[in-house]
Amino acid sequence: MRYVAIRLGLSLLLLVGVTIVTFVLTNLVPGDPVIAALGQRAADDPKIVEAYRAAQGLDQPLVVQYFLYLGHLLQGNLGTSIGTRNPVVQDLGYAFPATAELAVFAIVVAVVVGLVLAVVAALRRNRFSDQLIRAISVVGISVPTFWLAVAAYFLFFFVLHWTPGSGRLSPIYDAPPRVTGLFTVDALLAGQPDVAADAFAHLVLPGSVLAVYTLGLLVRFARSSILDVLNQDYVRAARAKGLSSGRVVVAYLLRGALLPILTIVGLAFGSLLSGAVLTEQVFAWGGIGQYAFRAATSLDLPSIMGVGLVVGVVYITVNFVIDLVYGFVDPRVRVG
Amino acid sequence: MNHLPARLTAMTATAAAVALIVTGCSSSSGGGQSTSSKTLVVDNAFDLKTSDPARAFELTGSIVDKAIYETALTFNGSDVTKPVPQLTTYTMSDDEKTITLTLNGKHVFSSGNPVTIDDIVWSYKRVQGIAGNPSFLLSNLSTGKPFAITKTSDTTMTITDTQPNPALPTILPNPSLGVLDSKTLEGHGGTTGKDDGAESYLNATSAGSGPYQLSSYNVSSKVVFKPNPKYVGDKPAYGRVVLQNVKGPSQKIDVQGGSAQLALNLNSQQVNGLASGSIKVVKTPSANVGYLWLNQNAGVSGGLTNQPDFVKGVRHAIDYKAIQTIAGSGSTQPGGIVPSQFLGSLESDENNTTDAAAAKSDLAKYQGRSITLSYPTDAALDGVSFADMAQSVQSDLEGAGVKVKLNGLPIATLLDSFRAGKLQAGLMYWGPDFPDPSDYLTFSPGEGLGLRAGWTKDMAPEVTKAKEAAIAAQGDARAAAYQAWQKAANADGAFVPLVQAAKYAVTNGVSGVTQNAIWTVDLATIE
Repeated sequence: MRYVAIRLGLSLLLLVGVTIVTFVLTNLVPGDPVIAALGQRAADDPKIVEAYRAAQGLDQPLVVQYFLYLGHLLQGNLGTSIGTRNPVVQDLGYAFPATAELAVFAIVVAVVVGLVLAVVAALRRNRFSDQLIRAISVVGISVPTFWLAVAAYFLFFFVLHWTPGSGRLSPIYDAPPRVTGLFTVDALLAGQPDVAADAFAHLVLPGSVLAVYTLGLLVRFARSSILDVLNQDYVRAARAKGLSSGRVVVAYLLRGALLPILTIVGLAFGSLLSGAVLTEQVFAWGGIGQYAFRAATSLDLPSIMGVGLVVGVVYITVNFVIDLVYGFVDPRVRVG
Repeated sequence: MNHLPARLTAMTATAAAVALIVTGCSSSSGGGQSTSSKTLVVDNAFDLKTSDPARAFELTGSIVDKAIYETALTFNGSDVTKPVPQLTTYTMSDDEKTITLTLNGKHVFSSGNPVTIDDIVWSYKRVQGIAGNPSFLLSNLSTGKPFAITKTSDTTMTITDTQPNPALPTILPNPSLGVLDSKTLEGHGGTTGKDDGAESYLNATSAGSGPYQLSSYNVSSKVVFKPNPKYVGDKPAYGRVVLQNVKGPSQKIDVQGGSAQLALNLNSQQVNGLASGSIKVVKTPSANVGYLWLNQNAGVSGGLTNQPDFVKGVRHAIDYKAIQTIAGSGSTQPGGIVPSQFLGSLESDENNTTDAAAAKSDLAKYQGRSITLSYPTDAALDGVSFADMAQSVQSDLEGAGVKVKLNGLPIATLLDSFRAGKLQAGLMYWGPDFPDPSDYLTFSPGEGLGLRAGWTKDMAPEVTKAKEAAIAAQGDARAAAYQAWQKAANADGAFVPLVQAAKYAVTNGVSGVTQNAIWTVDLATIE
């Protein structure tokens, strides 16, 4: 219990830090957001500029703006987007599930495929299959996500016609009635299996592209961790007892290598969210990544702070959960 | 242990196969079926902020509002020189201060309410009262004084400027002046003042009399339209239009692959070799003019950019053909700052011609001196990179002996410094607010753009005199007066017009795509 309380306290402190960092960094960006938002002609009219500045609360001193921001934040209000003119909470409420759906798909693909490849590579150490998997891992880590997204889109959509076009759904479909914001889930809940299948089909390519970096990273670390435990006495003892190969891999090898793998999965969330900014541009995904890109390029400060906060919260939450899982997986961590 | 990897490999292969089968099946049932089910998909790189006409003044917003709202006057196709009736007909007063609008037949909003003069007056007053991005359209550009908007009968109204304003008819077709259903909007927080609260309603449920109405709206990803059953004009060909936010490289793949029927943001390199089979490239000169400015303020100029012989030398040093090559096929060099398709444009001007010998002579005493050339890094002139153009200018000036330090900046930062008049020289562009040469008088000394380049009235009295003559000119004399103003500005000015790029619309299996300088494309005319 003490372990959980300490981790929770640290996470809350980090959250306060995130609000300060996002606010300060956002406001340090050179350039006047009002000039960025208004057209060149409108920006010449002091009345329009003044009205716009007042409407966005940008006529207040920076410190006042921060405390107003914090006060509103405690009430669940992240301000109004300069770009969309919607409450930022509402915008994020629409954009986040889109990215979450993509990220969850990507992490599942990365973990499942990555672990399989890591086990194969470790068990066939220094053979051709190991060399091939390690090469795939290096390529996955090194290839720029944006380039990979465009190349994959060109190959699988345009050349091979295996995957559908950009977006979350084909143009003939409307979004399913909103419950979770995850189209695959909402479509199933609404009894629209064709829409669910279409949403899943749209998920496969961007999700797989997004998974590539994490997969590469995971293969490298998981292979190394599995090799570390492969020759441990308890693994040899398990084999000597005649346990099946599958049981040895799952219950002994992977369990023993789980801590570093969990670390990578936690860290991978960060790269998934940053990778989403680029991937969503290529696949017109309409999630946090596309929202962040629009906000950043139009100096939409409330939206930038909102995205920064959400990413920070997700990152802290994921790592908090992983800290707890550490304690569960290895009781020595709790004691330490 | 040796049999394990084989099993795992088989499992992986099976999972991959299942994913591909699901993907393939869904792809064949969903993708690529849009045309047959009368769905039109248009790819556009969004700069959308709102669909409320009184607040929208972005390119994507104009496409959206053109589809939803009718305006008092409009343009036919790409011809922006002759306003034609839509909701109203018009007459101009002899002194060109007042335009009288008369209702033109019967038009009906999607709610079923008839379009009345009260709706037009209310919509215009709302544009003025909100003080949003497009409110300057209904004000005098020099004095900032709002036009007087008056209902004169149940079928007529007037708009009056304090000064002669022959541009009035060309301002009214702007989609930002789309006419709204005032009765419906007043029930949803709509007012004609700063307290207006109808924007969120308009972003969810449109209130216009145009060919389409909103079906769904997401400012970051896509806008979906459905036909307005009450529209009195020709019914649009498509029962569903999806305008989606897609960047250039993906637009090309979409239109080639048939998942989009129209791509609006491909540049000259991307359209190169694209036209084949059902894919067509519609090429139109853009009304956006890329220009170079040289700051005339002695405190910013570094003793260079404010010197007449330096400015003259720069004008002759630039290789305008090279910039056109960068901008791609169909691009042109405008003679002045007014784009070629507008009244009063200049075909060419001897001051802005490449002449290496004259440039060397003019720049002889500045050999080895250095200027800083700023340009936006995250904005392009109709897909043409400002960085590429800046490098071309750098190469030209260095060939004439002047060093150039390139200073790429995010456009928000650049505009901030440019507006403050702090930048020595740079590249920027101007897109038309309305298709009349008077929109470009801001490039005069002492006016908005002129002051950003440190160019005050007393520095160029001849240009100011020519500007006043252009403002005073009426009727057929206007074209010659605006040409004279541009010639004066080219002879002694802070701005060097560089290029008008071509705008490309790439279609796959559709026709009726006409590009317009004000609203880019009218979705309702596509077949």
